[in-house]
Amino acid sequence: MTETDPLAETHAWRRVSPKFVWVDLLTSVIPGIVATLVLLGVWFFVERIWFLWIPALAVLVVTIVVGALTPRRVRAIGYMLREDDLVFRRGIMWRRIVSVPYGRMQLVDVTRGPIARAFGLAELKFVTAAAATGVTIPGLPEAEAEQLRDQLVALAESRRAGL
Amino acid sequence: MSDSVPQGEPHDGEVSRAGRQPEVPAPVGSSQAPQQSLADGEWHRLHPATPLFRGGIFLIAVIGFIVVQWRDLLIELFIGGEIGVPRDPLVTWILGNIFLASVIVVAVLLGIIGITWLAWRVHTFRITHELIEEREGILRRVHRRGRLDRVQGVNVSRPFIPRLFGAARLDVSLAGNEGNIRLAYLTSATADALRADILRAAAAARREQAAAAAAAAGVDPASGVGPAGPAAVADDGADPAEAPLPEAAIADPTAAAAASSGSVAGIIASRVDEFLAPELDQELAEPDSIVQMHPGRLIASTALTLVPAAILITALVVTISIASREQIALLVLLPAMIAIGGVSVRTILRSLRYSIAATKDGIRVGFGFLSTTNETLPPGRVHAIQAIQPLLWRPFGWWSVRINRASSTTRDGAAGQAATTILPVGTLDDVRRVMELILPDVDLEPEFTVSPSRARIFRPLSRRRNGFALTEHAVVMRRGAIWRTVTIVPYARVQSVSLSDGPLYRASRLRRVHVHTVSGPVGTRIGALDVRDGTRLQAEVEERVLQAIAADA
Repeated sequence: MTETDPLAETHAWRRVSPKFVWVDLLTSVIPGIVATLVLLGVWFFVERIWFLWIPALAVLVVTIVVGALTPRRVRAIGYMLREDDLVFRRGIMWRRIVSVPYGRMQLVDVTRGPIARAFGLAELKFVTAAAATGVTIPGLPEAEAEQLRDQLVALAESRRAGL
Repeated sequence: MSDSVPQGEPHDGEVSRAGRQPEVPAPVGSSQAPQQSLADGEWHRLHPATPLFRGGIFLIAVIGFIVVQWRDLLIELFIGGEIGVPRDPLVTWILGNIFLASVIVVAVLLGIIGITWLAWRVHTFRITHELIEEREGILRRVHRRGRLDRVQGVNVSRPFIPRLFGAARLDVSLAGNEGNIRLAYLTSATADALRADILRAAAAARREQAAAAAAAAGVDPASGVGPAGPAAVADDGADPAEAPLPEAAIADPTAAAAASSGSVAGIIASRVDEFLAPELDQELAEPDSIVQMHPGRLIASTALTLVPAAILITALVVTISIASREQIALLVLLPAMIAIGGVSVRTILRSLRYSIAATKDGIRVGFGFLSTTNETLPPGRVHAIQAIQPLLWRPFGWWSVRINRASSTTRDGAAGQAATTILPVGTLDDVRRVMELILPDVDLEPEFTVSPSRARIFRPLSRRRNGFALTEHAVVMRRGAIWRTVTIVPYARVQSVSLSDGPLYRASRLRRVHVHTVSGPVGTRIGALDVRDGTRLQAEVEERVLQAIAADA
């Protein structure tokens, strides 16, 4: 992202909602905290040996690092609607940029998980004939997700191609 | 489930006789004369002996079980004499109530026969000029339909037992996960004719779709099969003439019908002819396969793949048995070796009569020795193709070729397990011929852009081989030093492209590109590329995919 981005010269990256930070935090941090508590419980109730602290501590550290990086990770998610294809990127350590021609669309899926729904967000999945495509745009405001879905369907319809 | 004679005769004797029945040709159930095209938009039934082929093994098993269980009793009953074996209560009861017992047996048999007969009656299929439909089920009705322009391949297979009786199975694979339509069983000749009809209709449907805008749309379906009776009849009328001598396949039903009233010898002769007939029938294919399979090469290549595994297992077991001083561990070797031997024999038998040829409906690939399969890939249905060369094959210059294709062929049981292997083993020349057949316009000797020298850590041996080339119609990827592969993905079939990296790659300014195609055995990923090369590869492939889509639409 800090490097020059040849894609961004012609089109702007669209970001996902900042509220998605909270969804992501809740889904990644809560299990981490639960795991830490369970491990502490083992130490407290089962066997009070000092080295049983270590797994609990490790899980806690990982959880904190993941949590601290969440805002950056969410900011790194972006998509771009070009004339004939959709470009999607995500990841800060392991970056991945996928470009999918609209004509390759098999279907578009909009799903709302329970936590995302509490924040009024939805997830849009762009499915092609290749399982590896893996374009899932999370954290879209519900209205935007629906609008984007309709837009993608219309675009795909006008650029339909055989398998 | 169980099975029965399709004709609902209540006598027990009927069951054993039914093995010979299929010879009496189709008309028993379907008033349709067999030599007429079945792709006429009407509903048709399957081969009347279908339940027997499907459940025959089960029936034999049941009879075998009964015989083994009650062997002594049967001997006693039919030969006489007192053996004096203690009888189990069930037998005593049966002997005591022989009338009731036979009523029950007959009722059960009748029930089974009735149900299977009904199942056979309601299992119908039809082929119109744009759809192929299949209906089955008594309680749970199933109605499958597929669009002909989505047909990915048509596969005729002849498992051993049905093949003896001149029956064949027709699998139509459709795009996506909607699964295949399987018509099991049909008479051999019908299956072959139907395959031709389906492929012709599919080609017509595709042409029609492609030329939707054009005014010429009306011409194509007529020249294809279509629902139009005259065209279809004319088509088939020509068949017997076109198929000479041992290709009794086409003329067979008529011959068999005539023979059944006359001599049994006639039936046997026609069956033998059919059994020995070459897999590619002249009506569809140019007679020669473009690749000749040499048995020696086939055996050697299979051995080279499996012998290292055998040696490894042996070494492991021997080491363990020496280390643990338990010679009993050596006993493990026997089943392992039998398994490996079985796999080799199966692989070899399967590929022994391999053939590949271009036909006007697509590429025809034939496999199998005892059970044969024959598959036709309509043009443009190959999404990725890969030539691979294991290390031990290198001294001989052998390669094998696999493809990715858009259909769920995983369901194929008998001999269909490797519907993705399109050339089991061949020389570089064979590979070139196969590739040219499948992707005619691809340059097979392009200039490759390989990994930069700083990628040495990631590709210590294959750095100079690991690379890609953008040709006019396809992207070519070359990988591996020990296990060499060359992968070709036509732009027209690429689904999407991704560019990715991780911390290590970033530090070395490298990227990985994955060209996404439908899933299959062919991996279409290339790593350890220079940043600029990787970015360019992704952008270029995407660009050309878009061009291909625009040209297609």
